[in-house]
Amino acid sequence: MKALFYLAKRSFVNHIKMALKKPLTLIIFVFGVAYAIFIIMALASFASMIRLDSVQGLVIIMTVWSIYITLADFMTYSGRKGILFRPAHTHFVFTAPISPKLVLINSAWMNYIFAFGMWLLMAIAAATIFQAALWQAVLFFLAACILSLGFEIAVMVLLYANDSIPEKVLRGICWGIRVFLVALTLVIILYFRQNGLTIESAISFVDWPVLQMLPVVGWQVALYRLILLGPTVLNVVCSLLYLATVAAAAAGAVCMRCDGGYYEEAAKFADDYAELRKRQKSGELVSGIGRKKKTFRKIRERIGGKGAKAVFYRQLLEYKKEKYFIFSKTTLIAVFVALVVSFPMRDEVEAGYSRFFLLGIVAYVSLIMSGYTGKWENELKTPYLFLIPDTAFRKLWYSTLMEHIKALADGTIICVASGIFWRVQPLYIVLCILIYTVLQANKLYARVLAQCLVGDVFGAKGQDIIRAVIQMAILGMGIGAAVIVGVFVNVDLIFPILLIYSIIVTGAMCLLASLRFDTMEQLV
Amino acid sequence: MLEVQNLRKSYGHNVAVDGVNFLVPDGQIGVLLGPNGAGKSTIIKSIAGLLRYQGIIRIQGIPARRVEAKKLFGYVPEIPAMFEALTVREHIEYIRRAYGSDITDEEVEEMLTAFEMDDKQDKLGNELSKGMMQKVSICCALAVKPKVILLDEPMVGLDPAAIRKLKEVVLRLRDQGVTVLISTHMLEMVEELWDIMFVMKKGNIIGSYTRKDAQGKDLDELFFEMTGGED
Repeated sequence: MKALFYLAKRSFVNHIKMALKKPLTLIIFVFGVAYAIFIIMALASFASMIRLDSVQGLVIIMTVWSIYITLADFMTYSGRKGILFRPAHTHFVFTAPISPKLVLINSAWMNYIFAFGMWLLMAIAAATIFQAALWQAVLFFLAACILSLGFEIAVMVLLYANDSIPEKVLRGICWGIRVFLVALTLVIILYFRQNGLTIESAISFVDWPVLQMLPVVGWQVALYRLILLGPTVLNVVCSLLYLATVAAAAAGAVCMRCDGGYYEEAAKFADDYAELRKRQKSGELVSGIGRKKKTFRKIRERIGGKGAKAVFYRQLLEYKKEKYFIFSKTTLIAVFVALVVSFPMRDEVEAGYSRFFLLGIVAYVSLIMSGYTGKWENELKTPYLFLIPDTAFRKLWYSTLMEHIKALADGTIICVASGIFWRVQPLYIVLCILIYTVLQANKLYARVLAQCLVGDVFGAKGQDIIRAVIQMAILGMGIGAAVIVGVFVNVDLIFPILLIYSIIVTGAMCLLASLRFDTMEQLV
Repeated sequence: MLEVQNLRKSYGHNVAVDGVNFLVPDGQIGVLLGPNGAGKSTIIKSIAGLLRYQGIIRIQGIPARRVEAKKLFGYVPEIPAMFEALTVREHIEYIRRAYGSDITDEEVEEMLTAFEMDDKQDKLGNELSKGMMQKVSICCALAVKPKVILLDEPMVGLDPAAIRKLKEVVLRLRDQGVTVLISTHMLEMVEELWDIMFVMKKGNIIGSYTRKDAQGKDLDELFFEMTGGED
């Protein structure tokens, strides 16, 4: 255990030292803290606004928390997930003469810090927002921090590190919890449909005695009720049952035999997580950990084109082999946007201005989405592209051409669906599709320029900030000019001006960005 | 001594290792050879305690999963993975504490110098090249002062000087009575090291030779005789 403490201590100290060397990390940290404070204040005023600022309100929150979060934790641990392992753990920790249970408990330190911080905030909120007495807030903190955290650790050891529970049983537990949570959610929805969504109906729902009788999670709720609302026969009995459960779980975890069988899943998780981090760092949109091995369609086709053009045809062949061709997560986002804004907003969009609403949606989606990180970025990571005997501009164009086609497809999904429901003239729908495609191309080239300008000095986040600054500054001028012409000359000129201006600046940026395709070495 | 008895490991319906038995006695160097997909890595990971398996693995007579066995066991994986926020020296310090090793500061210094890492002691894990990581990984395994050491493709990524040094270290460990098991594809690298060799194919050990039984034959000659020309 001393070795694990040493590992945690030195890693923490060195991380702080590294952070101090990188001003950007500190800036992000300060902004993160400020944002967290803002969210907390907003939640506090929201709680007052919906009349949740009483101990009854806290009981409602804790009831929902206990049922959903506690059970979700159980589900995570029974699926042998929820704890971050790194490949270095596989190399240096799993093979070391340290009890596998201690390794597991130690590895979940981030969960403890998060839980401690959260319960501390909740206790402060109990005393300040939810009008609990100081002793109640202190007791609430102790119950949550010591008992519920202790119970969570015990459950983690019992489920995650248990070599004697067969895999099928663990999966069964996972499914059982899932079914229970879905059933409970349905009950809650039906209840509020019948009784209306008011604070009074919520209080009478959480006062339902059956909730406190639910094994473990209900008993946990009973303990919070005992502390915050005072004793009743039911909450005293259920609290005692909870204490007994925590003690039994802790004893079970201590006595349980563990040979480290879970290292197999933990090592796989560590590799998957390292892969996920790598992909996130390269700016990819990653939604899940541990992807299944990709399967490809069999395509028999020759790669056409010569010089840099061969890059495009190679990418085309690769996409043909993919299950969904060029359609990806960004296509799903486009479909989602189309579904959310087209039909549902048809009455809100004013008839005469529908084309401007569409333009607004197109601009918003282009600016908020992280951009297309398809195969073009991978081209830059290998030396093969730079060895092709062709000009840098043609290399850039043919490496990114497929991304423009993808953007055109996504833009079509958003604009056609919205345009039809909002009755936008076909000409403006086409212009919006083109503007979307050019804006995405602009974002792509701005990204390459940002890479050229800052290299790895500020990391992927820094590059993204620089990219956003470049793009907003350049496009902002065009938007400003288009609006002025639209207001003072003719409102219909906004679309062609915006399109032509975007094409010109994007073309210029494309020329500049082609420098990145000249040599593998970056400018910075 | 390293004993593997009736080791069996499957991934779903795919049997990776099918009832493998072998033994490397004290003070001997065993080499585990075989084509890609033969099951070498599965055996190595099972011995290192990173996989669930059926069968028995013993280190100095103690079941390999026991903490007492792990104290005697050093491991150099094929792909080293460092803690990115730990320096080279801190990695070794961690090992010293985790294993309760009695290695002295002078010995650590000597070991780092031998692998030309003495001037990189304060470098963080994320600042090291692949070759340097491999050297740190070897130094960490040696810092355990093991009775049994397992080296999985240890020469990959090392420069010629480090390969020569590693060979010297392996021979010295053997002279000190340490059991060494090396898994590798690079037959010529272990030619002058091995005492006992095991050749794997499709999850089974298809043959083994001691150096005495080999009657002066080269390792690759023996290997290709057994595998029928597969590399």
